[in-house]
Amino acid sequence: MPLLALDTSADICVSLVADPRPGPWLASTLGTLASRRVVEQRRHAELLAPMIEEVLGEAEVDRRDLTAVVVGTGPAPFTGLRAGLVTARTLALALGVPVHGVCSLEAVAAQALTDLDAAAEVLVVTDARRRELYAARYRRRDPATPRGELPEVVALDGPLVDSAVALQERGAAQGATVVGAGAALHPEHLAGDPEVVVDPAVLAVLALRRAERGESMPTEPLYLRRPDVTPSAGRKRVSG
Amino acid sequence: MPDASLVLGIETSCDETGVALARIHDDRTELLVDAVASSVDEHARFGGIIPEIASRAHLEAMVPTIQRALGEADVDLGQVGAVAVTAGPGLVGPLTVGAAAAKALAVGLGVPLHGVNHVIGHAAVDEMVHGLFPERVMALVVSGGHSSLLLVDDVATDVTELGHTLDDAAGEAFDKVGRLLGLPYPGGPHIDRLAREGDPGAIRFPRGLTAAKDQARHADDFSFSGLKTAVARWVEARQDAGQEIPLHDVAASFAAAVADVLTAKTIAACRRHEVDTLVIGGGFSANSQLRELATRRCAEAGITVRIPPIRYCTDNGAMIAALGAAVVRRGLPASPLDLAVDSSMPLTQVTV
Ligand SMILES: [Zn+2]
Repeated sequence: MPLLALDTSADICVSLVADPRPGPWLASTLGTLASRRVVEQRRHAELLAPMIEEVLGEAEVDRRDLTAVVVGTGPAPFTGLRAGLVTARTLALALGVPVHGVCSLEAVAAQALTDLDAAAEVLVVTDARRRELYAARYRRRDPATPRGELPEVVALDGPLVDSAVALQERGAAQGATVVGAGAALHPEHLAGDPEVVVDPAVLAVLALRRAERGESMPTEPLYLRRPDVTPSAGRKRVSG
Repeated sequence: MPDASLVLGIETSCDETGVALARIHDDRTELLVDAVASSVDEHARFGGIIPEIASRAHLEAMVPTIQRALGEADVDLGQVGAVAVTAGPGLVGPLTVGAAAAKALAVGLGVPLHGVNHVIGHAAVDEMVHGLFPERVMALVVSGGHSSLLLVDDVATDVTELGHTLDDAAGEAFDKVGRLLGLPYPGGPHIDRLAREGDPGAIRFPRGLTAAKDQARHADDFSFSGLKTAVARWVEARQDAGQEIPLHDVAASFAAAVADVLTAKTIAACRRHEVDTLVIGGGFSANSQLRELATRRCAEAGITVRIPPIRYCTDNGAMIAALGAAVVRRGLPASPLDLAVDSSMPLTQVTV
């Protein structure tokens, strides 16, 4: 029986993932049955539902056979992130299945750490717009996790939002491999591999494992920024 | 099993998360439940709606509000036969949360989705209060965000926008005058309360777009910004002269001017288009001077006036469930799952 995983923290991506997944936790066999990805900064709320229908149709899976919904909780620009979270929560409600939230940057980190040394650390950076980056630094939780197997990760710093130059100045990337779409944005301050992006199947595997351990996985958004508010100006005179 | 006659409506165009269930009968639309969560208190200190704060509140309120509506109506989500949602007009961030939730419900339940127009919903909600509309009705929709005059030949398929405000909405003018008089936000209810103890004839404030010269181009349009300025000038002149402001009389005279313009123009439009039923909706129809004047003038003019109770005039899921029910009743096709919300959805467009 499959589960549905989606992420709207950067691209819009949806995957159907086999549950239980076949074989060991190898990154090469995540059990993806069908997936869609659209590289789009807006229109998350428009494209997401049709993409869900498409993956169900392609894999010939009845929606009523889904066992859980997994969603990336960001950090991400607000409107797109919310579209993913409300979709996941409401879809799970309609299907009567659990919904699990996983930090989107953890999925990128787990993927990147899979092929690195036991002691390696990664700094994941993504586009926070307004000339800033979302950033978080991770290492394997269990150094004994063999290479090639998707590791559980632990955050050493972040997630936070800051400028590339500020991240550079505080040495956020020192001794770490920089990955994530944000690595292409300010290469003079932070350079790395921008090709590593969220794979919903990785979110799904992390969620399945955490569910097995009985961990709760809330779907609270990682906004990391307060809302812009423009308090009303005092009363303006219109005459005199 | 889904029941085609059971419609769930979702409204998130501003700061209210509304979820309602309506049942379609042959001769009426029945409201089963209307659940609302509001973030209005979080905006009060900013003196206006902050879209991002409203959007965050919608995300957190969505699932609990759906569950509350289902629980109160004792309905299982699997029984819902169609989902209706506000597609516009409204604030993009808030609209997006509601649309995404409605789509997910439609996909998860395997039922049709209907994106509908919020402003027309303000009129349609009265079908659940006073019965299905006759062949042709006039609708005056007034709130903090809209002041529109609609000729409704069919609430699901044929709506003509006759006129709208050229500047401030009626409720917006109330909020601005409230601020001017030092009243807390939102100012509307405070002015209404003060006005009840004042003399509406004490100060003669201008009636926008009622002069003969405006009849050709703006017979069915409204304008409240000149009125707001006139109140400001009057108050400032008093202040500059060191005189006290008679708050009750200012509020009453201002409210009288707004109610006078709205009712006079609306009734003139009813006559011109030979319509004998008027529906008044939107949050501003809670205003007591408007209710009283409309009731009196419509009686004089032989027009049946239908104003839903105040709780159905503010933004809520009931209005969207009501319009969704009207759409389903007529067997209209579902909206596409990739429907985009439209912050300035035209009022002639009932469905997406
Ligand atoms: Zn409204």
